[in-house]
Amino acid sequence: MSNFSTAFFSRFSGKRLLLRRRKPRSWRNNFRNAMLGYFLISPVVILIVALLGYPLFKTLQQSFYDVRPAVQANEFIGLRGFTELFADPLFATVLSNSLLWTVLVVFFQFLLGLAAALVLNAKFHGRWFFRILMVMPWALPGIVVALMWRLILNPDFGSLQIFTTFIGLPITDYLGQSSTALISIVFVAVWKGFAFWMLIILAALQGVPKDQIEAAEVDGAGPIRTFFNIYIPNMISVLRIGFILTAIWTFNYFELVFVMTAGGPAGASHTFPTIIYEQAFRRLDFGLASRFAFISILIMLVLSIFLIREVRRANKHG
Amino acid sequence: MGKTRKIKRATLFWKISWITTGFIMLLFVISPLIALISTSFKPTEEQLVSPPTIFPVNPTLENYVSALNEPAFIRYLINSFAIAVSTTVLAIIIATFATFSFTRLKFPGNRVFLVVVVLGQVIPLSAIAVPLYQNATALGVIDFLPALVAVYLALVLPVAVWMMRSYMANIPKEIEEATLVDGCTPLNGFFRVLLPMILPGIAATASYIFFVVWQEFLFALVYTTKQENRTVSVGILDFVGQYETNWGNLMAASVLMAIPAMLTFLFIQKRLVSGLTDGAVK
Repeated sequence: MSNFSTAFFSRFSGKRLLLRRRKPRSWRNNFRNAMLGYFLISPVVILIVALLGYPLFKTLQQSFYDVRPAVQANEFIGLRGFTELFADPLFATVLSNSLLWTVLVVFFQFLLGLAAALVLNAKFHGRWFFRILMVMPWALPGIVVALMWRLILNPDFGSLQIFTTFIGLPITDYLGQSSTALISIVFVAVWKGFAFWMLIILAALQGVPKDQIEAAEVDGAGPIRTFFNIYIPNMISVLRIGFILTAIWTFNYFELVFVMTAGGPAGASHTFPTIIYEQAFRRLDFGLASRFAFISILIMLVLSIFLIREVRRANKHG
Repeated sequence: MGKTRKIKRATLFWKISWITTGFIMLLFVISPLIALISTSFKPTEEQLVSPPTIFPVNPTLENYVSALNEPAFIRYLINSFAIAVSTTVLAIIIATFATFSFTRLKFPGNRVFLVVVVLGQVIPLSAIAVPLYQNATALGVIDFLPALVAVYLALVLPVAVWMMRSYMANIPKEIEEATLVDGCTPLNGFFRVLLPMILPGIAATASYIFFVVWQEFLFALVYTTKQENRTVSVGILDFVGQYETNWGNLMAASVLMAIPAMLTFLFIQKRLVSGLTDGAVK
């Protein structure tokens, strides 16, 4: 850092460089550097505060109001809105759907990502091609994935029936029934997103020290023991960050559910993002939408605390 | 003797399960893609056959022709492209300087601002859609596409800074400090030394931003009402009829929308994961 200031100074007084080198840095240079620093981050900070931070604050505030532009309602109702919300069976459905959705999607994405990564971790011909095929679903736009799966799941002419008749499942309208709608979307989300896990795990696998693996082999440990005792402990910090990141992404995923079922049938597959959209832009109840948003922000807050803790821990050890 | 045979049998077992897993994964990933692509080449009659044909019996380009002859669809593609490119360019300029400042300059509050920026990633978009819509209505900027670009900038900047930080952190500070001794200002050192070295990282970040904005759905839906302002992710729903959908046209349009996303994605896939996860570790 002292180089910084001396160099900065020397620009204006070439010869003084030698005299200044060992002296404490001057406050003027520090001040200039700091001003430059603030100047360069100001666009990011301003945009984020104005377009993410302020709306976030307004959502929190509005959740204590009854805001319905259609009837020109805008009054403070305090916690009443929340007590009504918690008594609403729709809230219980949305909460349990969202949690189930997040847990199932993240878990199965991890599982399939792990399987694909283990396949890719061996050397074989056409490996690069296999890898590209595996990331294709992740590279497709979410809206395209939603639309193509609506076709595939169509009970009349969707190609899922080729598969379901083969394994003995009935041909029905999986998206149209409340018992199967959410699970079907979970399946699609797993298909779309497992490649992220595959790439993380693949990178982590290749970072496991070779000597540890060899030592385990010499000691006569089989593949399963090697995996749990050598691979997993070496990969655990990356895996933890992966779990938190994918949980955040999955929880907030909007278009897949919206385009495939729009939360239907009869609200059976609503998650927080789709119910917020529905309440705000279909029913024009901004207050209720904000209350749902409030709860989802709380859940994100918990996840981000975990994320920050993990990042801190990774920084210490790695 | 018995032991070697046992080991041989064990390796054979692992080999077989490895091949089976690979084969199942391949089927799992490919078969839906086949449905997408083959439907886009099926003539109208063949789209409604039950059970469906796996590959088109009479392949045709008519779906692509009719999708591309839809003036509205071309308009959506142009809108999306313009929005994605302008967001990408602006975001890269802003994020590069900001990340330089975060990683290389010392000023009070550096860490705090960085945390604020990076935490922008976890804000649920749906949770801020309502106030953003209210503000846009109050300002009269619904259907004003630069407003959408501004929102997208705020959405992608946290990720952009997060990714760029991991690339910049990989480059030792000493390299620039050497130039500082030679009489460069920090900004000079940045342009002459650091910038050329992180160009691959910038390219990866730019592609990722393009990829995200090209397919963004929620805000495109909320911020546009007129048909001529729709982006492709929302406009593609035009092909979904209220009662009857021409699946061939819809899948052809989907393939056309997917191509730019796939290309940018394949270009970055190797760097992307380290960019998204290393930002946390470095």
